[in-house]
Amino acid sequence: MYRIRFHGRGGQGMKTASRILGTALFRGGFQVQDAPRYGAERRGAPMFAFVRAAREPILERGIITNPDLVLVADDSLVGIPAAGVMAGLRTDTVLAIASDTDADTWRHRLHINNPVVILPGIDTDDDDTHIPDTSAQCAGAAAALIGKVSRVVLTEAVTEETSGFGALALEANLETALAAFDAIGLQTGSVVEGAAYDVASSVRPDWVDLSAEASAVAAPNIYAALTSVQVRTGLWRTLRPLLERDKCKRCHWVCGSYCPDGVIAVDDAGYPEIDYEHCKGCMICVAQCPAHALVAVAEEEYRTAKGDGA
Amino acid sequence: MNDTTFNRARDLPTAHLLGAGTAMCAGCGGLGAVREVYDVLGEDTVFVNAAGCMTMLSVYPFTPFRGSWLYTAMASAPAGAQGVRDALDIRLAKGEISKDEDLQVVVLTGDGSAYGMGLSATSAAIDRGLDFIYLCYDNEGYGNTGQQTSAGSPHGARTATDPASSAVAGYKKDLFSIWAANKPTYVATVVASEPLDLARKIEEARALEGPRMIIALAPCPTGWGFEPSQSAEIGRLAVKTGIWPLKKWQNGKLVHTRVPHPRLPVEDYLKTQRRFAHLFEPRRDEVQLAEIQASVDDYWREIEEAKSSSRGD
Ligand SMILES: Cc1ncc(C[n+]2csc(CCOP(=O)(O)OP(=O)(O)O)c2C)c(N)n1
Ligand code: SF4
Ligand code: SF4
Ligand code: SF4
Repeated sequence: MYRIRFHGRGGQGMKTASRILGTALFRGGFQVQDAPRYGAERRGAPMFAFVRAAREPILERGIITNPDLVLVADDSLVGIPAAGVMAGLRTDTVLAIASDTDADTWRHRLHINNPVVILPGIDTDDDDTHIPDTSAQCAGAAAALIGKVSRVVLTEAVTEETSGFGALALEANLETALAAFDAIGLQTGSVVEGAAYDVASSVRPDWVDLSAEASAVAAPNIYAALTSVQVRTGLWRTLRPLLERDKCKRCHWVCGSYCPDGVIAVDDAGYPEIDYEHCKGCMICVAQCPAHALVAVAEEEYRTAKGDGA
Repeated sequence: MNDTTFNRARDLPTAHLLGAGTAMCAGCGGLGAVREVYDVLGEDTVFVNAAGCMTMLSVYPFTPFRGSWLYTAMASAPAGAQGVRDALDIRLAKGEISKDEDLQVVVLTGDGSAYGMGLSATSAAIDRGLDFIYLCYDNEGYGNTGQQTSAGSPHGARTATDPASSAVAGYKKDLFSIWAANKPTYVATVVASEPLDLARKIEEARALEGPRMIIALAPCPTGWGFEPSQSAEIGRLAVKTGIWPLKKWQNGKLVHTRVPHPRLPVEDYLKTQRRFAHLFEPRRDEVQLAEIQASVDDYWREIEEAKSSSRGD
């Protein structure tokens, strides 16, 4: 059975990628499961989607914990433990990353000897305020790495899954999917199919026996106010709004009122103060500031320049 | 209206009541409206929230609210609000809480609830004169489940259930007029990108009693297909093109609080969103574009005519 995980951020098209790949494998004669996995988070937040494909009926359910192939559309996710990119990697799991960094550097950084494939042609340009939809590219690359579906079948799958977005989008998706498929070249078919789940040696998970608790304990009542601040939505951000103080007109009611998340406060001198623990990087404040005193900086560049991971 | 605390933009609240760290998408226009409304209503507010995107605000053990929040089924939020209001009234009557411990009961739902599943319960609550505020954040579809068509989806849009090839054939339900016909205390439309207009209307609603009904257009980057950074601009274009009239209704009197002049062509708004992309690509759909423009023109012509006939000229 093939087990594939696509990691990206909400908005990068991982769900569509899993659907395209799932449909391609299905048309190629496999039995298939494909599903997205979200937390309670949305656009910009780490998410993943997964595909199982086998020649025989698939009895496994739930998320994939032992992938044969992991695709990463956004390399900033690799360093975020909560994104779970590295979860359950075997030594022969293929790790395919859309990145400007080369494979050896990634192996060195991650202390692994796995096959690492750098995905070419993926739009990792994060200078603008755009979350690129990489679904067609990721699906095309995955199809080639698995090596079990033809260009024709991939074309059919892309058409089936994305023609609802209009003729122009379909045309662009077909072109990118096939280019990504062709670009895999020598690594085509390099994914090693994992063993089927061994029912005989399976261990019953302990959560099966969770006993019912009294409703006073089990009912999800929250008694404290504002506990949401413990969720660090700042991790969603790929772009950071930065204040250029000399340009700021101290009209904080402008940027402060437009921030949907309410994370812009005012300091004593009347300058806006952004709570980066929670700023999601929507860039509305950057777009709305009349004085252009807020600028968008790629989060990764900012962190590299600062030399820290904060 | 004359003694508003919000005369100028700089009077808008600078400290915000809603906690950060919520699960809403970056750039969510619905969240912006909820945050702005909460800032004006204040802490003594209890939210009754029907299933939809905003129910992801409070996910155990996290809440961005300072007070209570109650989750209800999609059709039932006004019924939930009735229960909360009754409980408060009983405790007030028994002297268990004092008048200044009383809470404002606010129903929070999407358009799927407000325009569709919850409309009957809402109408019944208005019939009973329930003392509550209804805030509908209108993202023009069933957002939480992937933007399927709702009764609030606009004509010509692509949704998860109406692909570009056919698009939404029906017309956005005129919920404002339906609610007003039911004669609640107050009905108003708002949008987060007009924070001053919003703050004044919520301030007015807060001071009144009985059913007070608010519809906030909620630009939705995920469901409408645009970059989160454009959220406020798209809200503003909805007003400037006349697609989203800012208005209020009270005691049988309708007032437009912002009359766009000159009105921008509707396509300035439509072309910012991928849900309308098929109207422009691969070639312009002149018939549809003209139809959408005509429906907006008709709306404002009727408003003008009603105004001049009431003036007697
Ligand atoms: C009776 C019922 N049907 C379906 C659902 C599943 N459901 C949960 S949220 C949602 C979408 C609600 O749409 P809307 O009210 O517009 O709010 P939005 O998601 O756009 O915020 C649906 C269909 C439900 N919870 N209850
Ligand atoms: S809107 Fe721009 S100029 Fe005004 S306070 Fe904010 S950052 Fe400064
Ligand atoms: S980018 Fe600006 S508007 Fe968006 S969440 Fe961050 S501070 Fe708020
Ligand atoms: S889907 Fe739309 S309405 Fe729902 S949280 Fe995301 S942006 Fe907001």
